[in-house]
Amino acid sequence: MKKYIPLFLLLFFATAAVSVAQSDNISPARKQAIDSLALEKVKDLSKYISIIGSKETQFSEANRVMDRAEELFAPAAEMGVSSLNRKEIAYYKVRRYFERLMALNYDRVNITWYDIHYISDLERQPDGRYVGVVTVYQRFEGTSLESGLNYRDTTKKDITIYVEKKQTQIAGRTIEFWDVMLGDIRVTETSA
Amino acid sequence: MRKIILSILVLVLSLELAPGQGLYSPGSPKDDGRFAASTKQVNQFFRRFNAEESADGSKRYYSEDPLYRDRELRGKFISILFDNETSGISNEIKRDFMGEILSENMPQYINFHREGWFAEVSALFLYKGKRENVTLFLKIQPEGLGYEWVIDKVIFQPFKDIFNKPEGDAKGFLHPLSHELGFMNLRKAFQDSDTPEAFTPKEYQPDYLTLFLYEMKKGNIRFETISDVKFHFFQINNWYFELNQFNRPGFNTGWLIGNLVKLKPGDKETLLRYIYDQK
Repeated sequence: MKKYIPLFLLLFFATAAVSVAQSDNISPARKQAIDSLALEKVKDLSKYISIIGSKETQFSEANRVMDRAEELFAPAAEMGVSSLNRKEIAYYKVRRYFERLMALNYDRVNITWYDIHYISDLERQPDGRYVGVVTVYQRFEGTSLESGLNYRDTTKKDITIYVEKKQTQIAGRTIEFWDVMLGDIRVTETSA
Repeated sequence: MRKIILSILVLVLSLELAPGQGLYSPGSPKDDGRFAASTKQVNQFFRRFNAEESADGSKRYYSEDPLYRDRELRGKFISILFDNETSGISNEIKRDFMGEILSENMPQYINFHREGWFAEVSALFLYKGKRENVTLFLKIQPEGLGYEWVIDKVIFQPFKDIFNKPEGDAKGFLHPLSHELGFMNLRKAFQDSDTPEAFTPKEYQPDYLTLFLYEMKKGNIRFETISDVKFHFFQINNWYFELNQFNRPGFNTGWLIGNLVKLKPGDKETLLRYIYDQK
């Protein structure tokens, strides 16, 4: 099994982490590839959020999914949440946000995502890393069986993505690849 | 090793077998066009204003693309970039503005990295145990290998209240022969007066940002939260516009032009004074 590990890694970096980069500038073609990778990460996050929020998910499973979701983020990432009634931003660490989502007092929770997204340009930061923002829309539906109350909202999520060229050694060869990490997320309730 | 692979496999399969949960899963709610129409990011405002993306925003146009900065596409985009519900910008002024930026000979564009635009951020801070509104002005500047937003100015009412230079008879002064007395009367300026700013030159302006940073470093001011953000644009010759975020039902939402002013000579300086002083 062990002898296949380098091969798996090579395949992974070749397919998932975008082709080898030769320069620090991001061409339109490379930008498109990075966008796809960023969107994959956002899709992963959206699945994790849906699973964590679902009342059918076991506690231990939700915790495991939270661990995986946290791995998508750069250190110190935060969620900034505001609602239609409260424009001020409430800040949560990513883990705390997930824990609050899991603890919501509904009997049934359904989290779905609209079929639309927007990906910004990539801007270079002083440290050389690139930063962008992916916008997606989430619909939340919570039902309380006892009171028969339904709560529904639609939130816009502006998700920071950090794009960085990294290197790894595989079978003695240096492979360069572009990696994407998620950063701070701004959550805004919409009027939809 | 097998256990790790097995657990990853189980997790991946459990995710794959959870239909309708992730982005673009079967069962995803369909956008009825409102989110597509919304100018979702400031970045999208730039791209639409310049016609540097496709109508649905899914494709970024570069200089080699035939529709890059296409005049007709730009006209359609810009017409939806105004707040048409609350701002009351007249059709005449919109027409004038569009006529100038869409000029065939000398079209004008906005540029993220160029000077002439800045952010105004309304924030809440704790100052001496009390919640206070603070207005921060941020601008973008080159730094290191890229760019960064930096705090350029701050408006903080408690500071403005402290610095209130008296005028006329109420204004104290050091008489013109003070030097002959070795400025011994400075004691009156610093000890007997509660308005020492009376003894400063006409052009004196307190540096509120330095004071603000000083108080923060001393632990007297603590950040609480952000309540609003808007942007001011002076990049189009003889025009000013304000970019606001409109979160409301309908199709005219997102980052839109909420205020548009044609500038005459001298107006820019007056407007900047107004924005910075919030008079």
